[in-house]
Amino acid sequence: MTHSKPPDHINTTRGVIKFPAYFPVTTFGDKYPLDDLVRPYLPRLAPAIMVSLHYARQMKDRPTMPMLIDSGGFASLFDGARVVAQRGFGVLETTHDEKVEVLHPKDVLEFQEQHADLAFTLDFPVPPSMDPEEGKRRVELTIANARWALQNRRRKDLLLYACVQGWDVDSFRACAKAYAGLPFDGLAIGGMVPRVSDFKSVLEIVDAVRAEVPNKPLHVFGLGKPGLVDTLFKRGVQSVDSSSYVKLAADGRLWGQPAVKLGDASPTERLQLALCNLAMATQRALPLSAAHLMFGSRLWESRNQAGLDIATKPGRRTKTATQPLTAPT
Amino acid sequence: MQGTVEIPAKQVATKRPSAELNPPQREIDDQGLLRSGFSVVLQLPTGSGKTWLAEQAIAEVLDQGQRAIYLTPLRALANELLERWSTRFRGHRVGVFTGEFGQSQAYPVPFEQADLLIMTPERLDACTRHWRSHWGWLPRVGLLVVDELHLLGDKGRGPRLEGALLRTRALNPFLRVLGLSATLGNRAELADWLEGVHYHSDWRQVPISWRSERFKRAADKPGILIAEARRCVDEGGQCLVFVQSRRRAEQLSAMLSEAGIPAGHHHAGLESHQRQKLEVEYRSGATRVLVSTGTLEMGLNLPARLVVLYDLQYFDGTDFKPLPVNTVWQRAGRAGRRGLDDRGEVLLIGPAWDREIDRYAEGRFERITSGLADRRALAEQLLAEVSSGLARTRPQLHRRFAQSLAAHQDRLPNIDHVLAEMTESGMVTEVSDDDEKAPRLKATRLGRIAVRQMLAPVTVLSLARAFADEGAPSLKLFDILLACAATEDCEPRIPADFEELEDLGGRLAKQPSSYLARSVGELRQDMGHNGRRLLAILKTALIAREWTRTGCAQTVADEFGCYVFEVRRLAESLERILSAAVAIVTPPKNAEQTTSEETPPAAPLVEGPVLADRVRALAAMVAHGVDEQTVTLTYVSGIGGTLARRLRDAGIEDIEDLAQADSKGVAQVRGVSESRAACWIEEAAQIMTSRSAFSLREFGMSGRSTLSTLDLPVDPYRLRRALDLMVRRQSDAYLVSGGLEPHRVESASVGLRCDCQGFEKGHECKHVLAVRLSQNDAQLRLVVERLSSESSPLDFDLIQLWFDRDKP
Ligand SMILES: Nc1ncnc2c1ncn2[C@@H]1O[C@H](COP(=O)(O)OP(=O)(O)O)[C@@H](O)[C@H]1O
Ligand SMILES: [Mg+2]
Repeated sequence: MTHSKPPDHINTTRGVIKFPAYFPVTTFGDKYPLDDLVRPYLPRLAPAIMVSLHYARQMKDRPTMPMLIDSGGFASLFDGARVVAQRGFGVLETTHDEKVEVLHPKDVLEFQEQHADLAFTLDFPVPPSMDPEEGKRRVELTIANARWALQNRRRKDLLLYACVQGWDVDSFRACAKAYAGLPFDGLAIGGMVPRVSDFKSVLEIVDAVRAEVPNKPLHVFGLGKPGLVDTLFKRGVQSVDSSSYVKLAADGRLWGQPAVKLGDASPTERLQLALCNLAMATQRALPLSAAHLMFGSRLWESRNQAGLDIATKPGRRTKTATQPLTAPT
Repeated sequence: MQGTVEIPAKQVATKRPSAELNPPQREIDDQGLLRSGFSVVLQLPTGSGKTWLAEQAIAEVLDQGQRAIYLTPLRALANELLERWSTRFRGHRVGVFTGEFGQSQAYPVPFEQADLLIMTPERLDACTRHWRSHWGWLPRVGLLVVDELHLLGDKGRGPRLEGALLRTRALNPFLRVLGLSATLGNRAELADWLEGVHYHSDWRQVPISWRSERFKRAADKPGILIAEARRCVDEGGQCLVFVQSRRRAEQLSAMLSEAGIPAGHHHAGLESHQRQKLEVEYRSGATRVLVSTGTLEMGLNLPARLVVLYDLQYFDGTDFKPLPVNTVWQRAGRAGRRGLDDRGEVLLIGPAWDREIDRYAEGRFERITSGLADRRALAEQLLAEVSSGLARTRPQLHRRFAQSLAAHQDRLPNIDHVLAEMTESGMVTEVSDDDEKAPRLKATRLGRIAVRQMLAPVTVLSLARAFADEGAPSLKLFDILLACAATEDCEPRIPADFEELEDLGGRLAKQPSSYLARSVGELRQDMGHNGRRLLAILKTALIAREWTRTGCAQTVADEFGCYVFEVRRLAESLERILSAAVAIVTPPKNAEQTTSEETPPAAPLVEGPVLADRVRALAAMVAHGVDEQTVTLTYVSGIGGTLARRLRDAGIEDIEDLAQADSKGVAQVRGVSESRAACWIEEAAQIMTSRSAFSLREFGMSGRSTLSTLDLPVDPYRLRRALDLMVRRQSDAYLVSGGLEPHRVESASVGLRCDCQGFEKGHECKHVLAVRLSQNDAQLRLVVERLSSESSPLDFDLIQLWFDRDKP
């Protein structure tokens, strides 16, 4: 065991990513129109964006900010998905409208080489309920895929994170051990979302992985709630990603204010909610015209008549209330 | 605050040394006001460097890699700024976007690529209505400068500025607004609305003093002016005189010149080159006195030692009212030339009995109140919100307008009432497809037309009603122009003088028209106006019609005693209204769009193709300044207004001429190759099989005309054109010239035969008709006589209208 520490930043050709970092997830295509509204503003609130392969493929204009592309391996959790071993690699077969789609690590890497600044290897999460044998097989294939990607990466400036999967603390630790010593740029822990209700065990897994690779950046997939994020960062995690900011906004909700719900938010109101949520998570300056969402203003009053359910009415805005525009931490 | 507290060295380098800052500028800089991250309302006197401060703020935003918008109400000023800023911001792209309203236009620097966008408020309004097409750049904007922020209170333009601000701020939550004005009575309230801070200073580079001269009789005014101007000029000063009308500006400047004082006049009626010349002469000092209407009160930097407010009242369309304090100060602010005068003087000329005049010097500015307090203005903005998809339900609409200045000032009309009017009139529908959710608001086809052309909903509605009327199929070109001129978006409406009523009556009598064939009562009803306003509508439609006949704004202006500028603006404004008219008469492409929910009670009946053809042709005629004959050339694909005019000037006057022309001849026209000409000729011939070049021609007063093509032995239009031709007798034939090419007409076994293609195709061509006329053909002569007496006097007297009691 070395005593060196993970770096406090990584460099991409499109910009430096300082740690700890919060990566907002965005999508391309028609499925989530709110993402198109929010995306142009992301450079003001985050150092990089996270996109899943499936949506990245529908991208028309590549954003100019650093982009992380994950492998889309979480689709192995969907009904009808199969993880198949082919010549030692793990391949994902999914069925859409009776058509079988095959995702090979090669497809993933090729796309990432073209578009990503940071790539995640093709992994297969193990849901808590899965038969341990199948879990073991999935983790082995996850490791094989990561090694293959490392050997076949051609673009020097493409950062590559190996994905860590498992079904319990020991298996996660073993998976991380398999990567130790290999020249990955970082490790990413997957499969945490279904385990979040047992946050203690999440932290144990994080500790176990961190102990195996003390000097590499560590990313945790999908855990972006402001409270959790702080704990993870304190625990030595360098980065997280999440789409919760925009999902909550689509639902008319503000992070940390469960009493507030705008039942029928307009597109620009959702945009403002999403940016507010993200500003809270990334602890950056709030967008100006969204400040009143946080601090209360005449808007709340008009909203009251106009269909907003709020439990308590915040006080009237005062000059001092508008000034500390940075989100409360 | 986002990276705004520290100023990177690079930016400091782009700043002028602070020694050059004047006191308010230094204070603003010291406080870091423009870098605070907040919106700011700056109120400083005219000429104290507001635009200059905005320039600094823009420089900073551009340095951070963001974009900036600068809104200015004046097109002329926008171009001036473009010139200056293209140098100042070298390395960044500066674009100017002032083209009127929603017309499609290619800009030298497209929106997407401009780092600094200089725009009119109307342009920004249009962009936000179509925000999806502008999503590539809108989110990148960090700063929106609104020069002349008091425009918010302008009845005409304020609501569009407010709507633009409302939507831009919703679409770009990071946007900072920097509002500039010299005259705001409620700076703090406006800053509060923008959730920003404000700053004010009275500091002037050159201090000004106020005094007034009183007159007993209005006839004394010119004498007072001459004396004051002479004194000022003799002492080496320059003098700006503000008056209430263009005519007065012209008269006074002539009078001053006569008195030996080099004077000029400046108003919106001038051509831009005239205006520029005047500005250069004034700046150089060759012109000592400039007499101007209100056009000079915003933006342009033409200072003077003495500013005279010759008229202290203005005409608001119905009445004379005292000038607002804000207006007086906008004008007075020009007093005192930097570096030339140590003091500026303001002189108010007012009647002896008027005590109110002295209050002007106190400078208690009026509160700027939202123009959205007007229901019609609100209706337009409400429709824009719905149509752009930014407000999809009633509560959303309520919440949006709760953010308006009107709401902030408790002046917002009841949204539900306005919405009810809009649904009733078929501009908006409310659909509920799910009992759980609030019903969805949608703009109907009519509503979308209004939004696209940036027209008031009532304008589109009144056109739709006119076209759905049972008399609609018989509407003539002039009637369509009348309907357009009667809408509230027609601008300018040119008033008629009492002395010209007879002349107008004569002109109207010659217009084929079905509106004019009705009684005066019906006309009042059809137009929705009476009295002098109706007379102005009639005159305005005549001016527009003349524009389509001559295509020369100068000729039309001379003929009707108005300004070239007015003719141009009128053509532009009618073009926009006619684009909406075309959309109204054009059936929607897919039937899906006219499902029951979209068919409101007052939906226009889509009438026969004939009216639609006329509306479409008229739109092209007005857009290009061509007549109903030349416009037929534009039926051919690839021929637009410009080419049609060129072809006409080369003697190819309509599609029939083109069909009969040969490609070599057509290729003589600038910009036309022979192969292109050949294609056109082929297409023209093809079109001629189904349409006549004369299909749009009209004659006689509809309903009372004694003539119809059916009882004439020849086509009257071809006959009219034959009258313009020259016939020369040669030994065995006639040589007919004056058209595109000379033709030979010979006697044949039966009648005459021509060598033109029209004749070959079996028409009795204009050449043959010309020969018959030269032979004094009795039947043709008779027709010519009947045609030339073809004008029937109006059934009513225009004087009647003049004395209508104007009801609002
Ligand atoms: N700090 C300054 N240094 C030099 N010239 C200045 C400065 N501030 C303003 N000016 C000049 O003064 C004139 C008036 O300034 P401008 O910004 O147009 O005033 P405003 O917009 O307030 O009417 C312009 O010619 C401008 O270039
Ligand atoms: Mg200015």
